[in-house]
Amino acid sequence: MRRPRLNSGVRALAVALLCVWSLGPLAVGFVTSISSQREVGETPTRWIPSHPTLEAYEGLLGGSGGAETASDAAAEAGAFGRGMLNSVIVTVVSTAAVLIVAVLAGYGFGRLRFRGSQGLLAIVLATMVVPLFTLVVALFKLMAELDLIDTIPGLVAVYVSTQAPLAIWLFYNYCRELPPEPEEAALIDGCTRLSAFGRVALPQMRSGIAALTAITMLGVWGQFMIPLLLTSSENTKPVTVVITEFIGKYSTNYPLLTAAGMLVLIPPAIVALALNRHIRGMLSAG
Amino acid sequence: MPKVEAVRTWGRLDPRRLLTPGTAAREDARLGRLLVLPALAFTAVLVVYPLVVGVQTSLHANVPTLGQPSDFVGLENYANALGDRNVINAIVETLKYVVAALVLEVGLGLGLAVLLHRAFRGRGLVLAILILPWALPSVVSGVLWRRVFDPDSGLLNSALLHLGVIEKPVIWMANDTWATLFISLVHVWGVLPLITLVFLAGMQAIPDDIYAASAVDGASGWRQFRHITLPLLRPSLAVALSVGSIEAINIFDEIFVINGTALNTRSVVMEIYDMTFVNSQFAEGIALAILVAVATAVLAIGYILVLRRRTV
Repeated sequence: MRRPRLNSGVRALAVALLCVWSLGPLAVGFVTSISSQREVGETPTRWIPSHPTLEAYEGLLGGSGGAETASDAAAEAGAFGRGMLNSVIVTVVSTAAVLIVAVLAGYGFGRLRFRGSQGLLAIVLATMVVPLFTLVVALFKLMAELDLIDTIPGLVAVYVSTQAPLAIWLFYNYCRELPPEPEEAALIDGCTRLSAFGRVALPQMRSGIAALTAITMLGVWGQFMIPLLLTSSENTKPVTVVITEFIGKYSTNYPLLTAAGMLVLIPPAIVALALNRHIRGMLSAG
Repeated sequence: MPKVEAVRTWGRLDPRRLLTPGTAAREDARLGRLLVLPALAFTAVLVVYPLVVGVQTSLHANVPTLGQPSDFVGLENYANALGDRNVINAIVETLKYVVAALVLEVGLGLGLAVLLHRAFRGRGLVLAILILPWALPSVVSGVLWRRVFDPDSGLLNSALLHLGVIEKPVIWMANDTWATLFISLVHVWGVLPLITLVFLAGMQAIPDDIYAASAVDGASGWRQFRHITLPLLRPSLAVALSVGSIEAINIFDEIFVINGTALNTRSVVMEIYDMTFVNSQFAEGIALAILVAVATAVLAIGYILVLRRRTV
């Protein structure tokens, strides 16, 4: 006799419901994105398009279009493409910076003893509950002095300070749970702590670093409120902000909105599916 | 004394300490300080310093331009913020989101954890599907759900009209109850995966022998869940409640996308956004933000204290 068991029929039904719940909105989005504006706009709306079309995607990706959806989309192709590019740049740079900061600090706090480490860790972690709005006035002043308002480096700096505490916390826990024996063996063999860290511990932490990369990328890619406050020009606005502007302009052009949404989903969906085992491992440890 | 502590760190002896006592500990300490330095620098410049400025701003009269000197007014901005009808409404609305989200997340999260914690065919794939909504930008999930709730061409109205449940399209976001409920649902869609993982990790940490022993005593199914799983999940419940509350208190994106800053669904963070960036009431906005931060921290610490006590 082992743990409580579920009837297999009940389990199959529940698993099916879970898949519908998780994937349903995505399916709705995809089907809408290949519909024409006319069919979506009918009352009651058509769930399934009679003539599936990729014109919203073609428009957004820079093609030209005759139909209403496509011409709206084509008109925004520049803004959308630029938004995607901004998001990619900001995500890559911020993730790299957060990784460096968090891996070093997580290891330093989790594995090395020094006076005041617990107090300093507590301060870093406490910043997780500080809402952005308490900081925003000073951040604006600081950035104005450094000419960083509405720039990608400015945005990256704020992302690092907002994402790093969680990343440090996750990596701190991860470091504490990792078996110390390989590193100790290296120390016995005469390694300094630094080279034991670089040659033994870091390679041992590959899975944790992969998970941290994924979690940070997902976190940064989805950011909306911070860039809504800190960016205003086309050269800095990430795609999440661009999409909400589409909503303002084309509130019921659902093929356009959902096609944009689907394109924005592709990078995080790939990261989440490819690294989901690592992600789950790290989130469960925290 | 520091030596004893050092030994405790990993629960075993650091081999170097036997050879060169003192030196190894000093080397570790030096490296440790060096490694945490970047994190501390970022925290100091981009969080602690701005926070100090923020607290100062909240204690002074509001000025239209940032950074101008102004009179010290004590807690007046805090009192003004809490005396504002819109703020009170936003706080009440946010509490509704928090309660709805926690009920759904804990209920469904526990159920999903029970469903998923034992091995079955395709479990890996199901887990990958489970975490997908959490991984996606909430702005995009807002867009997808807009399509469902749209009053004129929404899928929900079209389905209900077709089934004859309603006779004319319902403007869901104009109805306070439906609006709050649906926005909570969209929020839960994104957060539930995380909560489920928390419970799943908690369940996986419960040793099998306990279930085996209780089975010998004749307990099974629901009774095991009620008397073994649930009590041992208290620490996970504390984490789940903290994470769920923090996420729900800070709800913004989903509402902004689905219903804009409309008053009937405005959360407290949206109210702060409105005060600060639309009306330039920086001092009052920051005061309210600080109150929200304190409330969040108190809530999180409360869960942990209450639920940790009866474990170990």
